[in-house]
Amino acid sequence: MECWAARRYAASVDLTRRGVLAAAAAALPLVAVSCKGVGALGTPPKAAADVAVARDAITVESSLIARYGAVLAAVPGLAGELQPLLAQHQEHLARLRARLILPTPQPTAPPSATPSAGAPATPSAALAYLRDAENAAAAALLAHLRVAPPSLAQLLASISASEATHALILDAHGRHR
Amino acid sequence: MSPSPGTGARAAVRALQAALAAENSAVYGYGVAGAHLTGARRAAAVRDWVAHENARDTLTVMLTARGGQPAAAAAAYQLPFPVRGAPAAVAFAAYLEDRVTSVYLGLVTLNDPALRAFGAAAVRTAALRATAWRGSTLAFPGLDLPVPFVRSR
Repeated sequence: MECWAARRYAASVDLTRRGVLAAAAAALPLVAVSCKGVGALGTPPKAAADVAVARDAITVESSLIARYGAVLAAVPGLAGELQPLLAQHQEHLARLRARLILPTPQPTAPPSATPSAGAPATPSAALAYLRDAENAAAAALLAHLRVAPPSLAQLLASISASEATHALILDAHGRHR
Repeated sequence: MSPSPGTGARAAVRALQAALAAENSAVYGYGVAGAHLTGARRAAAVRDWVAHENARDTLTVMLTARGGQPAAAAAAYQLPFPVRGAPAAVAFAAYLEDRVTSVYLGLVTLNDPALRAFGAAAVRTAALRATAWRGSTLAFPGLDLPVPFVRSR
């Protein structure tokens, strides 16, 4: 039904009733909402897939940040090498969180994504541990590439490439030790 | 507003043409950069130059298979900044890879899952080469392009 027709229909129904003003006040917002709804039906609702993919990516990033935190606590001497990479992960997380349109705050990381117990204590082992985590994250971010909406797919591919370059730098730091 | 199959195929050809153009300019650019480099850095420039030639050939085949007419390379390209000496050549190589990274991100928006995966793999490869030249990483390779910067000395 076209919007003008919906309004005329609502008006004619109202005129047959008593308390016209009260009914019109109640009916008009409904008409307005339904007109907007008719327009929105033209495109399939992709928001759910978008949110699920973004949430998974947020979990991946949160897990990486937790690993960096654990390594920095165990081997503070690596701060110079690790801080620039950690700062970029914070940027990744912020941009992924900005994709979530839901107002409810998400948990920062599920229990499985807090691996602080397993952080190695020597610099070279810690660098290898983070390099492997970066490579795993790079692969995990591409897992949902085909179902992601175009702009989110670009963001995932870019962040995944960033993780791969982090692994390259961590590997270089490891070999220079 | 889902694109029709025809639009999707046209978008794929457009994105592949853009990637081919970037690869052509990278092939030219590495010729310029390599001339100012010696030793290991020259070897790296030659290796990357060959990689871009191979990528160009791959894209040419992909375009032809889709009925596209692969665009020819230009005879010469305008450089974004003067490339004289090794520091500028290294910065230029990083710049070329940043451009290539950005263009391959265009393939990631396509509906064809195989082209998306191909684009993502190429984004990763180019970002790795950019990092090797720059010695540092970017948070959003291909999305947020750094302003080209040449260290003096």
